[in-house]
Amino acid sequence: MTNWFEGSLTWGIFAMFAIWVIVLLLIVLGFVTYAIYYERKVIGWMQGRYGPNRVGPFGLLQTVADILKLLMKEDTIPAKADRVLFKLAPVIAFVPSFAVLAVIPYTETLVFANLNVGLLYFAALSSISTIGILLGGWASNNKYALLGGMRSGAQMISYEIPLIISVAGVILMSGSLNLGDIVKAQGNGFWQWNFIPQIIGFSVFIVASIAELNRTPFDLPEAESELVAGYHVEYSGFRFAFFMLAEYVYVYAIASLTTVLFLGGWKPLFPFLDFIPGIIWFIIKFLFVVFCLFWLRATLPRMRIDQLMGLGWKVLLPLSLANLFITAVVMEWFR
Amino acid sequence: MSSITQFFSSSEHVIFFVLALGAISGAVFMITLSKLVHMILSLAVTFLSLAGLYVLLNAEFVAFAQVLIYAGAVTILMMFGIMLTKHEDAEDKAKRPRHRMLLGVSITLLFAVLFLAIQQLSLPAQDALQADNNTEAIGEQLFTLHVIPFELVSLLLTVAFIGSIIVAKKEAE
Repeated sequence: MTNWFEGSLTWGIFAMFAIWVIVLLLIVLGFVTYAIYYERKVIGWMQGRYGPNRVGPFGLLQTVADILKLLMKEDTIPAKADRVLFKLAPVIAFVPSFAVLAVIPYTETLVFANLNVGLLYFAALSSISTIGILLGGWASNNKYALLGGMRSGAQMISYEIPLIISVAGVILMSGSLNLGDIVKAQGNGFWQWNFIPQIIGFSVFIVASIAELNRTPFDLPEAESELVAGYHVEYSGFRFAFFMLAEYVYVYAIASLTTVLFLGGWKPLFPFLDFIPGIIWFIIKFLFVVFCLFWLRATLPRMRIDQLMGLGWKVLLPLSLANLFITAVVMEWFR
Repeated sequence: MSSITQFFSSSEHVIFFVLALGAISGAVFMITLSKLVHMILSLAVTFLSLAGLYVLLNAEFVAFAQVLIYAGAVTILMMFGIMLTKHEDAEDKAKRPRHRMLLGVSITLLFAVLFLAIQQLSLPAQDALQADNNTEAIGEQLFTLHVIPFELVSLLLTVAFIGSIIVAKKEAE
């Protein structure tokens, strides 16, 4: 870990940190803007529609227009809401989603914080967003919002356990919690990446991470047909935008994490493709994971709440535990 | 005045100050606020600030375990329990002036004792663990030197876990 806080705090160092944070924020905002466009286009294509095509060339400015509309909306707070918590909840939901991005290694050198417990940091901070969602649902003082918040909380807690245990196999194989070291433990060429020996862990991870993201087929917290809109039903304007932003920043974070843990991070697909820079490989794999998330959304119907809990506790948890056990036994066997 | 400026020129000191303030104010608000959900949120602020202090002490593993378990799981569990209660549930504070005065005096005394004790305390320098691999060191210690207490604790947790399932099953019937 870089011990930057042991140095002296001059304005120059402070400004440097601030600039890097703003650069990352702009990249993430750009990603979110075009991820929404990309998602609508992909789903439109799969459903035989055009998707957005009116605002700007090929509809490229559609999301920008949507964001402007959201920001100019009237900011409403329900009369019986808990005002302080109502305002605080979107912040609590967003800040951890952005903070987890600090430990993602894009290439061997391009990493914001080379933390030796990076994976644990990711898991720990992402659990805080749940508090924001629960609070948002509770502070609205609306029964649909409360139900949506509770569902979301229950879902995120239930799926966080298999998510973390499925990753434990990767930790065993690379012997480190540092995300950079986990990539370095995987080789050049796709047969040396973690997703082949850890195929059970990989599958559990993908399913659990979609549930953590509250995306279809696990988007019960915001099931429009039964809960109006879930925990953010009373929110409008930029507070609503913050909840949506947090959700898409988590898409970015989980897609990066999948790339790093299972798909070899910046390592090339075949050793002879070594001349292509690592950042390009990272972006290709990352976009592939994001595409798969959208693909699943366009294909699968939503699950029922009892099926959801059953899947999490009775299927994914035993599977991930078995994966951990098998990995430990095999590693001991071939040592 | 110059010593204060010097103190705040180190980023470690500034961060320590902010985190200590967060931990203490979270604890104070936890006691003084009247709505249960607000109390839990301020408790979460205390947990997070403590985790930050652990990071300052180079104990990252402990820090993020603290965030994962206390700020994440425990806080959410408490919120779950409380959110299904009524929205206007706030306790009324009884006003007892004699109690308050006694309380004030004893708090001042306690502070004086602690302050003097800390002032006179001198900690001998210990050879600290290497900051780079303290997660590994914790794991090694747990599974070599402290393996029996570790296994006993995990047995205890399993028993508690099974017990809670049995209790919940009985209530369901």
